[in-house]
Amino acid sequence: MATAKVEAGAAGHGAEPRGKRTDAGEATYLIAVAEALWEEMERDEKVFMLGEDIGVYGGAFKVTEGFIERFGATRVMDTPIAEETIVGMAVGAAMEDLRPVAEFQYSDFMSSGFDEITTVLARYHYRTGVRLPVVLRAPSGGMVRASNFHSINPEPWFAYTGGIKIMCPAFPSDAKGLLKSAIRDDNPSIFLEHKWIYRRIKEVVSEDPDFLVPIGKAEVKRAGDDVTIVTYGAMVHKALEAADTLAAKGISVEVVDLRTVYPIDEETVLRSIEKTSRALVLYESYRFLGIGAEVAAVIAERAFQHLDAPVMRLAPPNIPVPFSPTLEDAFLPGVADIERAVDELSAW
Amino acid sequence: MVATKTQKADSRKRPLTDDRLREMLHTLKLCRYFDERMEALYRQGRLPGAIYSGRGQEGTHVGVTSALRADDSLFPTHRDLSAQLTKGLDLPRVMAQFWGRIDGYLRGRDGNSHIGDWQGNRTFAVISHLPIAYPVAVGAALAYKLAGDSRVAMAICGDGSTSNGRWHEAINTSAIHRLPVVWVVNNNQFAYSTPNTLEFTTPTIAERAVAYGIPGVRVDGGEVLEVYEAAREAVERARSGGGPTLIESVSLRWRGHAGHDPATYVPAEMLEDYMANHDPVKNFEEYLLAEGVVNKEDVAAIQQRVEAAFDEGYEYAQASPFPETGDVTKGQWVEDGYWEADPGRGGGTEAP
Repeated sequence: MATAKVEAGAAGHGAEPRGKRTDAGEATYLIAVAEALWEEMERDEKVFMLGEDIGVYGGAFKVTEGFIERFGATRVMDTPIAEETIVGMAVGAAMEDLRPVAEFQYSDFMSSGFDEITTVLARYHYRTGVRLPVVLRAPSGGMVRASNFHSINPEPWFAYTGGIKIMCPAFPSDAKGLLKSAIRDDNPSIFLEHKWIYRRIKEVVSEDPDFLVPIGKAEVKRAGDDVTIVTYGAMVHKALEAADTLAAKGISVEVVDLRTVYPIDEETVLRSIEKTSRALVLYESYRFLGIGAEVAAVIAERAFQHLDAPVMRLAPPNIPVPFSPTLEDAFLPGVADIERAVDELSAW
Repeated sequence: MVATKTQKADSRKRPLTDDRLREMLHTLKLCRYFDERMEALYRQGRLPGAIYSGRGQEGTHVGVTSALRADDSLFPTHRDLSAQLTKGLDLPRVMAQFWGRIDGYLRGRDGNSHIGDWQGNRTFAVISHLPIAYPVAVGAALAYKLAGDSRVAMAICGDGSTSNGRWHEAINTSAIHRLPVVWVVNNNQFAYSTPNTLEFTTPTIAERAVAYGIPGVRVDGGEVLEVYEAAREAVERARSGGGPTLIESVSLRWRGHAGHDPATYVPAEMLEDYMANHDPVKNFEEYLLAEGVVNKEDVAAIQQRVEAAFDEGYEYAQASPFPETGDVTKGQWVEDGYWEADPGRGGGTEAP
């Protein structure tokens, strides 16, 4: 893993995203997402994309740049600004055996398609047995000074409805492997791409066209003995940064990356708690009823006998994401906050 | 400029064979009888859940759906059970659904007219939030266009739905891509208790088609053949690449929004007029008698067949077991395998 400065726009039109890797073969998170989409479009002609400005313009974040030249306007479909209909169309197309991948420009705008997501997409298979292999992709999260209508973490809204698998990867390889799994899965998925990670994190990513990361499996991103940090998305990178500092102070931190936030991989979390006996749940969705609230409940319920300290949570308050850099930094958990929390847990 | 026209039935021209006309009368009478009997059972406390009567609107439901092929899809509302019966749903399984039994189309997971049979008769399982199926119909129509085949999607909603943003979104999107879809509005003149005058300001709903650059047509829902003719034309247009059509079929909701609603907000003289002059079942029966397509004995035989079918369906539903409680969480995910396997039948027939 390495960090890099924000890259310029992607390479040539119609070119495979893989051509946009660095000379060392590294792909950014954004390119990894594009590779997953490209490969699945090549593999299965039932896969098609729809969304706002994804065609000629290449998407708000340029993830789909060059796709329309390769796959044409029917498989890279620009839609009107009509989120309920984008989701509804994806459902209807999936009912007729297609495998739609719909893009939201920002995950904030998923609220404009809320009813079709929570009332139709989430519940239809349980009610009827009709398979809906729909993927909804959306850039989520803060830390890029985009203010409150372009920074939210909507995963708790949709985890609560049941029936939709929700992924929030932190690394390019996980992003690529999970997105390919989501497209091949016969259930509905919401795939949240953290926009702070898009162009900051890159790594060597598999070029195997069948490289898949299993949905619903967490992964230990850093092994440690003293304290477990359970987290996902951009907060994984904050946790890893804090773990470096804490290691210098003699505290060994284990970082568990959930990768999929619904359903949660309880076993991997519990195995780590059994080892460390201390749990910090770190998450960027709101503290109250956010994803970490459920994780904390699972730990309290299933690992009580292993705990040497209360389960701690670190998450933003349930207020709009503020714009001013000082306010946004105060709102989000930072590396110093994580270090303080781990210190506190270690003192028990 | 897209014209909005009002059609009138032409008794000199029969658009269907005599056999199909007789079958249409059978369907109309089945839907009417089903609606009346189910309401009676509901009032006697013998039916769980809710009922949403479609009485008085059967001309719309039977008329538009009769224009579809078996492989065309239908996206109805809770009030459009008659349309689903016309599309081919089996009455006994429909009744098992109303009683929450395992042999209902949705295995007890949804009730009453929130029904659908996508795998068989290509009908969308109804969702209450209207017109939530309109955008879904756009997606099905898109799939037909991408596949290059001649299938058509038809969606029905009420006048109330036309005030909702999705109604606009869906019709607009379908028009942009000239998708093979037929938009039907069953204008029964009341959205629950709210009359047309508090829903929109244009004289008709059909003329709103002009705003989307598609044809709009307004028909009398009391005349099933008039409705059928408009739907047939719209379906043909969609099938041949001509894009969507908006059909407004005017009727009156004879009963309340649901079984609990006495609908006292509907003016008595309006209801009397519609029941006397715009009854689609009575009008069609009289038409077929006048045309000599049926005689009195035929009509009596049809009624007898309808009543026997209802009784048979009722017995089937009561004998069908409830779903097993151990299955309650199964089927959220495809990999549960719940919907691919035969369901458990050990739930008994005793209501909790």
